[in-house]
Amino acid sequence: MRRAVIDLLKAIRAPVAAIALTLVIGFVLVAAITDEPVRAYRDLLLANFDSLGNFALFLNRATPLTLIALGVIFSFRAGVFNVGGEGQLYAGAIAATVIGVSLSSLPAVVLFPLVVVGGILAGAFLGWIPAVLKVRLAVDEVVTTLMLNIIVLLFTSYLANQVIRDPTSYGAVSALLPQKIWLPAFPGVPGATSGIIVAALLAVLSWVALFRTEWGAQLRASGTNLRFATTIGVPADKRIVMAMLLAGGFGGLAGTLYVLGIGHRFEQNFSPNYGLVGLTCALLARIHPIGALATALFYAMIINGAAYMQISTDVPRSLVNLLTGLLVLLMTARLSARARG
Amino acid sequence: MAYVSFLASVLEQSSPIVLAALAAMITLRANILNVAVEGMMLVAAFTAIAVGNASGSAALALLCALVASILMSQLLALMTLRFSADFIVAGLGINLLAAGGSLFALEWFYRSPGGLRPITFPDLWHIPAGTLSYVPVLGPALEGQSVIVVLAFLAVPACSIFLYKTPIGAYLRASGEDEHAARSAGIDVARMKALALAISGLLAGLAGAQISMDKLHFFLPEMTSGRGFIGLAATLFSGGLPWTTAAAAVLFGFFGALGDRLQALAIPSQFVLMLPYLAAILGLTFARWRLHIRNRPARILEPAPASGSSDPQRPKL
Repeated sequence: MRRAVIDLLKAIRAPVAAIALTLVIGFVLVAAITDEPVRAYRDLLLANFDSLGNFALFLNRATPLTLIALGVIFSFRAGVFNVGGEGQLYAGAIAATVIGVSLSSLPAVVLFPLVVVGGILAGAFLGWIPAVLKVRLAVDEVVTTLMLNIIVLLFTSYLANQVIRDPTSYGAVSALLPQKIWLPAFPGVPGATSGIIVAALLAVLSWVALFRTEWGAQLRASGTNLRFATTIGVPADKRIVMAMLLAGGFGGLAGTLYVLGIGHRFEQNFSPNYGLVGLTCALLARIHPIGALATALFYAMIINGAAYMQISTDVPRSLVNLLTGLLVLLMTARLSARARG
Repeated sequence: MAYVSFLASVLEQSSPIVLAALAAMITLRANILNVAVEGMMLVAAFTAIAVGNASGSAALALLCALVASILMSQLLALMTLRFSADFIVAGLGINLLAAGGSLFALEWFYRSPGGLRPITFPDLWHIPAGTLSYVPVLGPALEGQSVIVVLAFLAVPACSIFLYKTPIGAYLRASGEDEHAARSAGIDVARMKALALAISGLLAGLAGAQISMDKLHFFLPEMTSGRGFIGLAATLFSGGLPWTTAAAAVLFGFFGALGDRLQALAIPSQFVLMLPYLAAILGLTFARWRLHIRNRPARILEPAPASGSSDPQRPKL
């Protein structure tokens, strides 16, 4: 028991240190620009729990982050540096919207699964392209996923502006999805999506799949030592492609649950860079599914908290963007002399 | 003279991409996949406008932009080489820091999150009209281009000479190709990588300054709009050779300029803007596919260990 606690402490020491250091640097910055640094920091960290409404927004923010982080974890564990979360998110959201709006006359029991499966498949397709290019031709997946992000963003912007645009409302948004397929609210918190329950369940399932099944062991072996994996007979290429299909599927599901539970329609540029922040959450959690749930909640807290901080004091909310960059830089740094080698 | 204005627009659009591509190429030769070019460009673009606005001097603005970009590159060098952070993760961190930091500065110092638009702004030096009219075709297209465009196209031979004709360039390449061998030969590999990043910062700084200072004279958040990544693609596409890299970058610039022309037609702007990114993916795939075909006989003779892993040109992540 004591040993398990020590192991856990060892595992979380580095990320906790990175978070603590970032929060300290942030506090120094805040103290330099406002007379009420304590008030600003209290709002940044705790205003999410001031009211039921704030708490609902907090859960809504955490849902896509958790799902994207889980997807990133599958790809990273298989050794694929998937930076395409943002594109996969948008692909899922637009596919879900197009299906939901164009087939809105179908009964909910038929339409709901269609929408969800369509969203997941669209995201998975976007993960499949870089995976196949990597496995077959060794095309660098960092570049392909980054480029696909921009292509998908432009394509969805075209659809939102010219094809599925709702002419009666302001801005590039689609028509509302039929209310019968909206996700029910989180029990006890009106205004919050119950998608967070799905995300939490999937975090546990992902952990089981990755660390308690032979399939997961093979996937991780392909990621850590490809040559060894193929030598002992693991079909590494298949595992890598499967991991990327899952990664894309998780991104697509994040987009689908966003339109079903939070936005209820597709909006151009609806994501404040969930893709990259989700990736950050996964890295911060040392690519561990349960940890990713925790870091996604932490991130949701400070992203929303930044807005409350801006309202109550004069600290701009983009401070959090700056701190995120700093956190990413600090996170992978290894300070011990042993690791420096 | 439609073709002259088109050629001028190709030159103008290519120059930041050429510079970004060279910035990525120099680090790639030191075995670093530099995804931070975009962030360095953004920092330079912002610094150029902020300093130009405050001082009224174009030269000082350009100088400060380059210094800021080099400082960012050295922050990346510090995190990765001293504190062994992963190059890609730290590079993405630099990009976030650049985007967040410039937005924070806009909100805090200028109280305008939308962008920084000085009422007056000092002009960069441009090639005066009429000085090159005796050169056929290229002369008129070059007239009116900023000094950075000229520097961009001088940077290509400069990089080539540096890499292949100077001892330091040879050390840098050696550090990238075989770190252990280079170390046993007495080369300070970490210093060579830091140097590669510094040169990368210089080139990316020029690219960023060109984007904000040449014609626009303002800064918008995200105004580099992925050109750093296009440059990275151009570098990977051409395997890190200076002249081929520049050629690929000009090709992407050509697509950009063509896109602007096509926008006048009925094609939705989003598809036009997609062109360089699609071209990058297709180009990379095609380059890999050719390599794949060329390597095929060897693969039949001795079974390859595993596809998708062994790739000599790819930096170790």
